[in-house]
Amino acid sequence: MNSMTSAHPMSKASTGKLALFITLGTESVFFVTLLVAYIALRDSVTWNVPHTWTRLTIPLLNTVVLLVSVLLAWLSGAAIRRDNKSALKSNLLTTILLGLFFVAGQIYEFSHAGLHINDSSFGGVFFTLMGFHALHVLAGVVFLGLNYVRASLGDFSAQQHEAVELGVLFWYYVAAVWLVLFVALYLV
Amino acid sequence: MTTQVREIPHKVNIATSGLLSWIMTVDHKRIGILYLFSAFIFFLVGGIEALLMRIQLAQPDNKFLSPDVYNQIFTMHGTTMIFLVVMPLAAGFGNYLVPLMIGARDMAFPKLNALSYWTYLFGGVFMYSSFAFGGAPNDGWFSYAPLTEKAFSPTHGMDFWVMGILMLGLATTIGSINFIVTIIQLRAPGMTLTKLPLFVWTTFVTSFLAVFSLPSLTTAVLLLLLDRQLGSHFYNTAEGGSALLWQHLFWFFGHPEVYILILPAMGIVSMVIPVFSSKPLFGYPAVVFSTIAIGFLGFTVWAHHMFATGMPTASLLFFSADSFLIGVPTGVKIFAWLGTMWKGKLRFMTPMLFSIGFVALFLIGGLDGIHLAVVPVDWQITDSYYVVAHIHYVLFGGAIFGIFSGIYYWFPKMTGRLLGESLGKWHFWLMFIGMNMVFMPMHVLGLEGMPRRIYTYGPGRGWEIWNFIETIGAAIIAISVFIFVVNFFLTMLRAPTHHESDPWDGFTLEWTTSSPPPNYNFAEIPTVRSRRPLWDKKHPELADWKEETA
Ligand code: HEM
Ligand SMILES: [Cu+2]
Repeated sequence: MNSMTSAHPMSKASTGKLALFITLGTESVFFVTLLVAYIALRDSVTWNVPHTWTRLTIPLLNTVVLLVSVLLAWLSGAAIRRDNKSALKSNLLTTILLGLFFVAGQIYEFSHAGLHINDSSFGGVFFTLMGFHALHVLAGVVFLGLNYVRASLGDFSAQQHEAVELGVLFWYYVAAVWLVLFVALYLV
Repeated sequence: MTTQVREIPHKVNIATSGLLSWIMTVDHKRIGILYLFSAFIFFLVGGIEALLMRIQLAQPDNKFLSPDVYNQIFTMHGTTMIFLVVMPLAAGFGNYLVPLMIGARDMAFPKLNALSYWTYLFGGVFMYSSFAFGGAPNDGWFSYAPLTEKAFSPTHGMDFWVMGILMLGLATTIGSINFIVTIIQLRAPGMTLTKLPLFVWTTFVTSFLAVFSLPSLTTAVLLLLLDRQLGSHFYNTAEGGSALLWQHLFWFFGHPEVYILILPAMGIVSMVIPVFSSKPLFGYPAVVFSTIAIGFLGFTVWAHHMFATGMPTASLLFFSADSFLIGVPTGVKIFAWLGTMWKGKLRFMTPMLFSIGFVALFLIGGLDGIHLAVVPVDWQITDSYYVVAHIHYVLFGGAIFGIFSGIYYWFPKMTGRLLGESLGKWHFWLMFIGMNMVFMPMHVLGLEGMPRRIYTYGPGRGWEIWNFIETIGAAIIAISVFIFVVNFFLTMLRAPTHHESDPWDGFTLEWTTSSPPPNYNFAEIPTVRSRRPLWDKKHPELADWKEETA
């Protein structure tokens, strides 16, 4: 933001948050319409959920990893609000590492699930939903990573840290989407 | 109107003149002009495609275009006019005008604004490059799957279409988020939502429609891409895919899309008619409310495009009744425009002519829509030329006439020059006559059973005469567009004479700046007290705010 476009005093909302919320709105329609495809194909003859599916180890582990990372992301935001820059950095770093761990777990899961995108309607739905979610996790990792770099350069303070808040909000969103997908693809 | 002094900010420009200054620009006015210019070029391309189709259909059993080429041409015509012409023309006006109308110095995110323009341009050029790589897409602008699966559409045309649509969708999404944030955050003091110029309102609602409907199209085309490239089976019925999934995903986007195309034109007309009637807009709250109502209802009627797919009776009833309902807010607007003109001091200059043309032609198109929303009627005439008549009365008679009204109205703002009035009148009348000659007979052809998207037809069905008249009408439209282009060049060759003036005796903030406006738009951010800030300034004793706040 520069002085050209600084928000008018009539509005109290933060420009960055507003833009992020609208973006998450459009993302949500994207995931909901993917779930529509899931619902549309659920009753089809080739909806073959693999036999090995009872193995919930990786997905459950990944769920825990993501939930812990959400807690750490929240702590990173709380840290900078108290102007604690080193806690901000260490919490961001662990969030990022857990995010990468999650993606690694997903890749392992993809190659051991006994499924291919082209062998059944379930395979298509599974890889599409999981794949687009994993891309969002990676986007979140990049977002948090940039914030980490900026934090290391001393960009943030208790007063000035909007990007941190936005990154954390995005991370919450990614985790929330995961919970929905986990229930849809593994539990029901 | 009082003003609030703020320091004029220093804008960093990499170059201030020449080609580079346009390529590097992040100024909303320049980006607006880039949008308008590029979209107009695509309008000429899409128009040439229309002429090719009309030549082919002028006589029965004509051999001018092969069936294969004909399919590519009508697909690119529809795709072009919708995604590369009307949407970006609206985005062009939005970019140029919204900051000026709300008293801001630029959009909220100037760099994202440039990104969205260049993404649009690249997407359009990318799609057209398919002609050089084995053939353009050829399954119509709605690209129904499974017809678009690799087995049935083996050329790369569909892949170009899918990737082009992804880019265009991204461009529109970024642009729409920018509009929403700008309108919420950057309004001048006193510019409350109840004082917002109507064009800003329609841009606002249009942006919401885009942000919440485009992802459905994104999903549809991504799944198609996965089917075609990685062998998944979303739309492949033989392997458990669904034949209706595409239609639902597409039309959940497709119906909001038609309002994305028409609302900005409605906004333009709602700005032009009051000025040329010398009256404020009649029923401003009702017009705003009907715009918002259209925004919500627009998401609930999509399956009226699918009446012929064998839906359950309950769904047929719901989507039919709901489509009638959406006619109500549309009707409210028609009455508001007529009420504004009623007893007004009317000035029939070119912008006004196009706005009146808009009202008349859009009304016909809307009534056609109501016919199509009657399920048994639709079963008879769906996929016939009747539907083609409907879409052109709303999109050509509606969107394009509204946009031309805007071009004539704001041309002096953008260039400091007035477009020639007499050539403008020729343009309007020829386009109006040509338009009705092309599209009115399509009603008859549709009722006589001529299907849309056929490359030729046999003699002796009574279709020859109508098709022939339509081709003549198309030539008349082409002449009218040519007159516009001539008018443009003649006007641009003259020196600008309207730098300081307010040539139409306008009402809104954009006319308080010089023409074209300075880089920063407003040296002093204005304070707004009514819906017609410039009227208040010119007529302090009759100022609107005295009444509105009373
Ligand atoms: C009064 C409100 C309207 C109603 C009730 C209505 C109804 C319909 C119906 C039922 C169809 C499907 C016809 C068929 O395929 O059998 C249709 C098609 C269409 N309508 Fe409308 N419509 C309305 C307004 C509009 C507006 C304002 C626009 C655009 C500016 C528009 C653009 C289109 C287009 C482009 C199609 C054709 C899509 C295609 O099949 O290619 N309509 N309309
Ligand atoms: Cu519709």
